[in-house]
Amino acid sequence: MPLKTPEQYEESLRKMNFKVYLMGERVENPVDHPIIRPSMNSVKMTYTLAQDPRHEDLMTAKSHLTGRKINRFCHIHQNTDDLVRKVKMQRLMGQKTGACFQRCVGMDAINAVDSVAFEMDKKLGTQYYERFIKFLRMMQQEDLTVDGAMTDPKGDRSLSPSQQTDPDLYTRVVEKRKDGIVVRGAKAHQTGAINSHWILVMPTMTMTKEDGDYAVSFVAPADAEGIFYIYGRQSCDTRKLEGGNIDVGNKEFGGHEALMVFDNLFVPWENVFMCGEYEYSGALVERFAGYHRQSYGGCKVGVGDVLIGAAALAADYNGAAKASHIKDKLIEMVHLNETLYACGIACSAEGCKTESGNYLIDLLLANVCKQNVTRLPYEIARLAEDIAGGLMVTMASEQDLRNPEIGKVVEKYFKGIASIPTEYRCRVLRLIENITLGTAAVGYRTESMHGAGSPQAQRIMISRQGNLEYKKKLAKEIAGIKE
Amino acid sequence: MSCMDPIGLKYCGGCNPHIDRSGLVREIENRLPYGCTLATDQPSGPWKIAILVCGCPKACADRPAVKSMARCWIHVGGATVEWEPVSKERMAEAIVRKIQEIKLEKGAFL
Repeated sequence: MPLKTPEQYEESLRKMNFKVYLMGERVENPVDHPIIRPSMNSVKMTYTLAQDPRHEDLMTAKSHLTGRKINRFCHIHQNTDDLVRKVKMQRLMGQKTGACFQRCVGMDAINAVDSVAFEMDKKLGTQYYERFIKFLRMMQQEDLTVDGAMTDPKGDRSLSPSQQTDPDLYTRVVEKRKDGIVVRGAKAHQTGAINSHWILVMPTMTMTKEDGDYAVSFVAPADAEGIFYIYGRQSCDTRKLEGGNIDVGNKEFGGHEALMVFDNLFVPWENVFMCGEYEYSGALVERFAGYHRQSYGGCKVGVGDVLIGAAALAADYNGAAKASHIKDKLIEMVHLNETLYACGIACSAEGCKTESGNYLIDLLLANVCKQNVTRLPYEIARLAEDIAGGLMVTMASEQDLRNPEIGKVVEKYFKGIASIPTEYRCRVLRLIENITLGTAAVGYRTESMHGAGSPQAQRIMISRQGNLEYKKKLAKEIAGIKE
Repeated sequence: MSCMDPIGLKYCGGCNPHIDRSGLVREIENRLPYGCTLATDQPSGPWKIAILVCGCPKACADRPAVKSMARCWIHVGGATVEWEPVSKERMAEAIVRKIQEIKLEKGAFL
């Protein structure tokens, strides 16, 4: 079964035994929980579109292990065309969901582990690559969703992992047994964790010899004994409990994050891909972050397409579409959005082969891409709010619109142009609210800032990769400076 | 290592190199045994061995039309030799060693 149907994916999640807490209560059935369900629908769409002949060219790839057609989210990039197609697929997914579809993080994790495990084995004589490939075969065969888990809670940022008052603030190996390792700690901000079949854990940063216990990478079933989750709140999340379909903005789709806690999780050796090889932790972090920074040049652009469309519709419904400043603002939004896309495509086209044979993005351009993502979506959101008008945050509720007594008043006074029903105007304004201030703003705004690393992390990488000495040499030659 | 035929040399275009390509080639020339030379002018047929010197890992010169210019290539892409990271100071040494390995391994079959 190299391609699961969307129904099979949903069914597979129902069979899992997640331990999830949401707003102080254990959730027995995450799949149907009204707050969680839209995020599951987004991941489910990655399965739906892979079955669709109109999208399979982007959504699927040929496995380099078996030659069979697989979902691209399970693929190891074999050339720069694969890297470019990945970004295009992510844009498509953003367009279809208007939200974070969560599955990229696992794809980025397997691609990072692939090359680093290979290089570790070659240098150190370990057997991580063989183990990883065994896992990858299963992932491709069963079309699994995998959560790539990197970010530790980190506690006091001025202290190293082993210097923390509470050592669990970084994920670590607490025991090495003959048959495996025992892990304690947590991973924060885990996108799509409760919609995933497996988790792929990686170290959170470059580790030193003193922090060798924290240089750990492994896979585990997402519902394994010893893992539990505390679901992250999102702005306006309880609107999903109201039962309506206007005020939520995006009824069908969403994203989610959770705190993933390892409570003495046992991991058999066959699922361990790094255990103490601290000198390779930096490469793993750098490559995963690079792939994920590339990802944002696709997914955020797709959501941006939806937001630009919503702003243009709001202008139409407000009767403002012909105003020159509105047209100019929409042009600016498109320009900014396509700038992000250009970066995503550029770092892919300039990718290179690694020793394992998989392809890595151009790290400088991927970091430039993400640095732009920390800024431009905010400007796009600002322009969308400008075009939408204040009503997007002062509008009456869906219940008021449906109320037999005051509904007519809402209809009358919230109307825009005569040919468009008031409800349409309400819907599009709520969608803009959803992406800029509501549940989807987690993905479109703050995740743009901090996801795949905060802005300063990219600036460090840009500084490292910027080749400043070469630029100085160029300037000296042109200026006639002979030393 | 005897050298009857020159070793081919093909550079990328050099738009944004991570390494000093000319310096690397000079160092390779210094390390080659007496009589061994590098040539950029292609003979009538393909070179037996050639070095592809690309300034960055993208290695944009690594394309079929270029690859047909030699039977056997040593790939340099930024600070990598045959896709393996090598410190800039050790690159020439690694490349010359690779040439020797190819000659030993393939010898008469080249």
